[in-house]
This record gives sequence, C-alpha cells and structure tokens, in this order.
Amino acid sequence: MDRRSFIKLTAVTGTSAALSGCGNPAAPLVRFVPDEDIMPGVAAWKPGVCPLCAAGCGLTVRVMDADADVVRNGQAGVVRILAAKKLEGGPMHPINQGGLCARGQAAIQVTYHPDRITQPLKRAGNRGDGRYEAISWDDALKEIVSRLDALEGVGNQKALAFVARHAYGHRAALVAQFLGRYGAPGPITYELFGDEVLRRANALSFGREQRPTFDLPNARFVLGFGADFLGTWNSPVAQGHGYGAMRQGRPGIRGAFVQVESRMSQTGANADEWVPARPGTEGVLALGLANVIIGAKLRPADAAGRAGSLIDGWSAGLSAYTPAEVERATGVAARRIERLARQFADTRPAVAIIGGPPLAHTNGLFSALAVNALNALVGSVEQPGGVFFTPQLDVVAAAKLQNVATTAPPPALDRFAAGILSAGAAPPQVLFIDGVNPVYAAPSAWRVREAFEKIPFIASFGSFLDDTSKLADLILPDHTFLESWSEAVPESGATIAVASVAPPVMSPLHQTRATADVLLDVGRRLRRPVALPWQTFDEMLAATFGALPKATPDADTWSDAQEKGGWWGTLPAGLAAAAAPAPAARPVTSAEPQFDGDPQQYPFHFLPYPSSAFLDGSLAHLPWLQEMPDPLTSAMWSSWVEVNPATATRLGIGQGDVVEIASAHGTVRTAAMISPGIAPDVLAMPVGQGHQTFTRYASGRGESPVPLLAPLTEPATGALAWAATRVRMSRVGDPDGRLILFAGGMREETETRR
Amino acid sequence: MAGAGCRLFETTTPAASPGPLLPGQTDAVFTTTRPTIGAAIDDFLSRTPAPVQPIEFPHNVHVAKKIACTDYCHESVTSGPVAGLPSVRTCMVCHDAIAVDRPRIKQITAMRAQGLDLSWQRVYGYPAPAHVKFNHAPHIRAKVECATCHGNIGEQTVAQRNVELTMGYCVNCHNERKVSIDCQTCHY
Repeated sequence: MDRRSFIKLTAVTGTSAALSGCGNPAAPLVRFVPDEDIMPGVAAWKPGVCPLCAAGCGLTVRVMDADADVVRNGQAGVVRILAAKKLEGGPMHPINQGGLCARGQAAIQVTYHPDRITQPLKRAGNRGDGRYEAISWDDALKEIVSRLDALEGVGNQKALAFVARHAYGHRAALVAQFLGRYGAPGPITYELFGDEVLRRANALSFGREQRPTFDLPNARFVLGFGADFLGTWNSPVAQGHGYGAMRQGRPGIRGAFVQVESRMSQTGANADEWVPARPGTEGVLALGLANVIIGAKLRPADAAGRAGSLIDGWSAGLSAYTPAEVERATGVAARRIERLARQFADTRPAVAIIGGPPLAHTNGLFSALAVNALNALVGSVEQPGGVFFTPQLDVVAAAKLQNVATTAPPPALDRFAAGILSAGAAPPQVLFIDGVNPVYAAPSAWRVREAFEKIPFIASFGSFLDDTSKLADLILPDHTFLESWSEAVPESGATIAVASVAPPVMSPLHQTRATADVLLDVGRRLRRPVALPWQTFDEMLAATFGALPKATPDADTWSDAQEKGGWWGTLPAGLAAAAAPAPAARPVTSAEPQFDGDPQQYPFHFLPYPSSAFLDGSLAHLPWLQEMPDPLTSAMWSSWVEVNPATATRLGIGQGDVVEIASAHGTVRTAAMISPGIAPDVLAMPVGQGHQTFTRYASGRGESPVPLLAPLTEPATGALAWAATRVRMSRVGDPDGRLILFAGGMREETETRR
Repeated sequence: MAGAGCRLFETTTPAASPGPLLPGQTDAVFTTTRPTIGAAIDDFLSRTPAPVQPIEFPHNVHVAKKIACTDYCHESVTSGPVAGLPSVRTCMVCHDAIAVDRPRIKQITAMRAQGLDLSWQRVYGYPAPAHVKFNHAPHIRAKVECATCHGNIGEQTVAQRNVELTMGYCVNCHNERKVSIDCQTCHY
C-alpha cells in the first residue's frame, strides 16, 4: 500500500468511525483496592539475582506502580501493584560489575510471559497431550505427601528421583538435604553443555573441582581453545568486562588474543588470529606448544608441577609432540605452532582458556589436562593475569548442617534412563523435575522420554509447559526470580568469594509458590517428617548469611547482604569449601578422539553449539531473545546449519536452501547458512529451537540438532561427547522462507533495486 | 485477536502449535496496540473520550474546606511525574468519621467493603504514539499554578478539561517562561 492510498483509507475509516464511535466514553474498569500503599510514577531500584545461567550475575531491578489484571471473587478487574519493569546489572556486584548480557535483559519476560503456568495443575488427559485441570495447592500438596508417605510405608524411599540442573547455592543444598533426609538418592543433574569434564580436569591438575576464573584485565596474551567466553560460556559478563580491560584498559598495552576452533564463534570473531584445528586435536596442539617452550628452554618442564606430571612424557620434553607431529594431527602448520609457542611463553602473563567443543569429545579430559599443564608451565595458575578459582562458600557448613549421607551417588541421566528401560530393574515410582528439559536436551538415543513415561508419578516445578514437563501428572509452579527469594553462589567469575541474595522485588502475580518453601512444607506434612530447622527458605538464607564475616563490628551481615544483593569478601577457614587434595591419577597419553559414524558415509563433523540467544534451549520461550539477531549470522526466529562456501559449491547448496543432515541416529531438515568461518569438513548448528512444546513462541519453531547426536561419552566423567557425531548432508529444496535474517532485509533489498 | 494484523506479514514462518490452553491462561497477547480498531482511530485523530468518573467527586467542597491538593489525594505531584489518583483507602482516612451519612460516602464505604477501588479516569492524557511525557514535579517547582491547566478547581465538582493540551499550548507557555523547547524535553 502506498502513502496516498493509506491516507485515503484512513479518511474513509476515520469518517465511518466518527459516525459510529464519536465520544463513546472509555469503558469503566473494575478496580480493586491495592494491598499496599504505592507512590505512583516514582521508581525504586531493588537488588536481584539473574536466574538464566549459572554465572549468578547481580541485578538491579526497577520497580514501579502498574495495573495488573486479576480476578477476585469471580469478578475480573485490575489492581495497582508494584511491578518490576526493567533489569540492569547490579553496579556493585563483583561478578558482572554493572553489566548484564542480552539474555539477562530479557529475563523480565519470564515473569510476564503469557504462557506462564498460573496455578497448580493436575493432568486431565493422557500423559503428554498437555491437557490439565486446576487443582488447589492444598490438594496438590496432599497428593505429593501421600505419594511420598506410600513409598516410606514400604521402605522404598530410594524410589524417589529428582532431576535438576547442576547448581551450587542454597536452594540446591536445601534440595539435597530434603532428599538425603527423606532417604532418596541425591539429585540427578543434567545439562547438555555442562562442564563436568573441565571440573574433573581442574580437580586432577589443581585440586579444585570447579570451573575456572580468568584474570583477563592483567593478561597480555590469551590463547582460547574453543571457549566462547565472550558469548555463552562460563561467566560471559565477567569475562567480557575483563576482556575489554585487557584490550583497552591499560594505556599503551593491548593484550593479544588468539582463538583455536573449527567454527568461528562470537568470541573467535574478536580474535587477532583465528586458528582452525581439526576437531578433537586441541589437546595435542597445546602439548605441541609445550614441546616448543620446553625444547627452547623458555620454561623448565618441572615448572608445571603436578599439572605437568599428569601428562605422559612431560618430564622428557614431550618428544611425541614435535611441531611436525602436531601439524600432522591438527592441521596447524609447524611454523605457526612454533611462533605461537614463543609468543605464549614470552608475552607474559599469558593464559590459555579451554571450554566448549574441545571438551565434548571422547578425549575431552586429555585436552583439558593438556591446557591446564600449559598454563602451569608458564606460571599462570593463581597468578595475576592467569587462572584462578573462586573460593566457594560451603553452604552446608554455614547453615550449621550435617552433610547428608547419601546411600550412593545418583546415576548419570543416561544410566538412569537405561535402568528404567531395562527389564527386571526396580524403577523409580516418583520423579520430581526441577528446571531441566532432558527430553529436549538429551540425545534421542538415551530414550529419556520413553523412560520417564514408565515412571508412575511425575511432578514438575517449572513455570512453563515444555517437552519434559508435559509428561508431568502434577505441576506445582514455582515463583519467578522476581517474586521469590533468589540466591546464587557463583562457581566462577570473581577472585573473591561471592554469595548473591535478594528478597522478592514484587508480590507474586499468580497462584504460584516458591519450590524451596513447597519442599519445606511437604517435609513437615510427611508422616515421618523431614526435619529441617527452617519454616521457610528465607530463614535458611538468614542463617547462612548471618554466619558470614561482618564488614564492620556492629554491622548486620544479613541486612547488608539483602540491601547490596549479596555478600562478597574473604571466607573464614570453616566456611570455605576445602580444596580437595588432588586425587591420584596416572599420567594420561593422547587418545585419538572417537567419532560416531563411518567417515565415508558421514563425511562431516557435526558441531552443535549453544546459541547466543537460547543457550541450551532453555530460553527459547522469551520473545525478545527469539527476535534477537544472532551476532554472526543475523538470523532470528529460526534455525540453520553453517556450511563452508567451498563445501556448499561442491554440493550445489545455496544460501537458505533446505538441506537434510543425517547421522546414524536421526535426520533433520533445516536451512543452509553459507559461512566462511567454518572448516570445510565441519557443519555447525545452533541448539535452542525445535521444541515440540515450549509456549507459543518456541513450540514447533525451527529445528534442534540434539536428536542427531550419538550417545558417545567422555569415559572418565560420563559426560556426553556432543561434538563427536559425524553426519552427511544433502540438498532437498529451494529456500522456503524458514531462514529469517535481519541483514539483507527490506532496506538493503530496496537499495539494490535502485 | 490482537496479533492477527501481524500474522498477515509472517506467512513464511512455520505456525506455532503450543497445544491447548492451560487453566488460568488466556490466548491474549501482551501488546501495546489498541484493543479495538475504533480505539486506534480515535488515537490517530487525537480524539480522547470524555472521562467518566466512578463518583461525582466534589472538588469544590474539599477546596472550600482548605484541603490542599497535595495534602493526601495528589501528594506525589511534587515528587514525581504523575499527581496520583487516590485509592478509596485515602478517602476513608477522613471519611471513616466525617460525613458518613452522605449518599456518596455511603457508596464508597460499600465499595471498600467489597474490596473495590475507585476507577478514576484521567482527564488529560496523550496518545502513546506521540511519545509525550509530562512530569508534574518540575512544573510545581517552577511555580506553575495548577489552575493553568486544571482551571479553578474550587468551582468544579468533577475535574473538567479546561484547556486543549496541544503541543502549541505547551510550547507557548515554555516560550513565555523562557524554558527549554528542545524536542527531548517532552518527547522521549
């Protein structure tokens, strides 16, 4: 429609509306008396804790008056409430220092999402068809209690299973205490992009079983091995802040940054030099650098200490990793290896960062140990500009609890599912799901959905119906982070100990209850009560924060923490999680990474990666993130597979063409994205879309690469080797509009036509 | 359906199938658009419907009793962008004891008993697309009389529109008082 016809149309419709609707008064609203005195139009900023990833960034939340739609006594109307309106990074918080990533900015949509579950629900249809009916909280809790009492009556408490994300902090400690005291195994944790391999490597090399923190502001040379540390990995806001300081924060000094990876990530796009290495050979490359450094006597081999002794042949100078050998394995030229090694040893402080795909191979632990040894060799462990480990608050000690004796460590998710499906096993009778979606995020070969379907009773605490919680018989929706006490004990991101906490910033919008409080309530109602010393979750928080050191002698730590959004400082000996003595381990030798699929039949390496918007898919329900263009491809609201231009030409594939990717485990059809930032024998696909059920914004949108993944694991940790699948690709059709790009949109099109 | 207009332009995206609605959910979308086409046209033509107040509030009586505007009812006018429209709780601070036998007081006492509040409608207001923000507090600090825009409130029962709040009206006064007429002063 051009401008002229628009104006004509406006005139016509305006006139007809004038005849019918002129001067109609606005329909009067039914307005209820508010629960609190509210000063209109004046904002307050309150602390919060971002819940969207494990980084645990502090928030500051703008809170103002708003009108909320409510139903009271069967009458619909509005009531004035205090509502969160905007999230920013907490300016004082030691992790994010005032910054907040785009995902964190969108977290506010969790609370106001139109598809939030507003009240307890009981399954009304068949399992999995998504039909539910309302149930009161009292009836819902009675149902849970009767199920748990029934298990306890026959002495089968072990048949309660709890699936959650890997988490530190108070809520996780409360869950573990509840399960342990009831007699159930500890929570089964699963994350597609978990860091179990890196944690294990750090435990072996340095005695710290946690993710590392990097002192980037003081580093002068950073060597990344696949870690998307500016985008999606570890503590991205803290790392982005440190990276800025490394590059531009010191007059006259600009730190150098080299990234080794086979698909250019958002982080790799920032590097001075991008080094594509064959998938799974990153550890070999690290040892190639170490070989040059030791051989040229830039650093003595024994400088690496324990971390070095874990590598077979280290003290002998790594004779198996000469630049020529390493070139053969990695595809990186020997001269380049020598140059990078000298740069790494001479430009100090230098630090190597490994994360993401290199750890997601069957030899991931070896690669991580190799990079740890490289860091130790150049003296970058617990030194300015190097690797640190955030001191961890021991929540159980601070809460003056006993560690609960768990009968046996909980199984990994794949073993758990296999156990249920195997004949003759005693399957769990009750399953609690808390904040994870393994039906979506675990490889289809694990058959998680089939396993869960066999469990007689499933309860979910999630706020949204997703691929997994759709199987639940009972849904007990949690408050969102803005409506409840929120907390985090960040595993990394700062060199001092941090515990974030924030009181609720607003009253709950719906008939929801905080899961921590629900567990405490259920514990009290059981026939044989689970005795925990608190009535509510905030009593637990008050107890632990009260035990932390005071800033000044007459200060009250708990009130201070609530005001500031957390506590940070130096932990006294009794409250710090002890650095475990490094477990005994035999030196490891380089192992060839194993790949699933015959190279002739499946010629491409397949690399799923966490999308900048959705991470592992858990944020796909937030429309702001759906419409956020991917930083490298500018794609939004859709899925794609990245293909090297040479590969695309060879296979006759054009931008946006529909291609079929097949592994030995499944196929997926998606749009091709021609990208020079990917090796010719690698195909990469973002994880995040392709949910069957996940609110109106994500259901049935795009495709997920997860069903293609082979069930290969890293043997020492059992972690999924998600980068170890091989695939083939074929073109199946012309562009059909499924790929939506921000770039090349209307404006550029018009300009080309001119 | 509010989203229907956008859907026309999104035919190439796969249709979402979120499944049946859960109890307590609606398929309404949070949107800044108007609820009806009529409302959109009224906005486009800057036609604001005449406000209808829940009770015929006698401003004249209260002003005659020497109650200042900022005492209870519009107290945020000096500190924030909006003057504030009082809740029935504010009325009952006095009217629990004063003039309890008057019909209008009986009416609001009954409302409070049912948990209902007074749904005052704004007398002035700008259509959202104009992106105009009016902040009361700086005008009060600059000693602009309330009557400049609201007329002599002591002679009104329900507050009336006394001036046509066009951009010209605002800019004239800003020019006379030699204060900023930068676009960003009001449009942000």
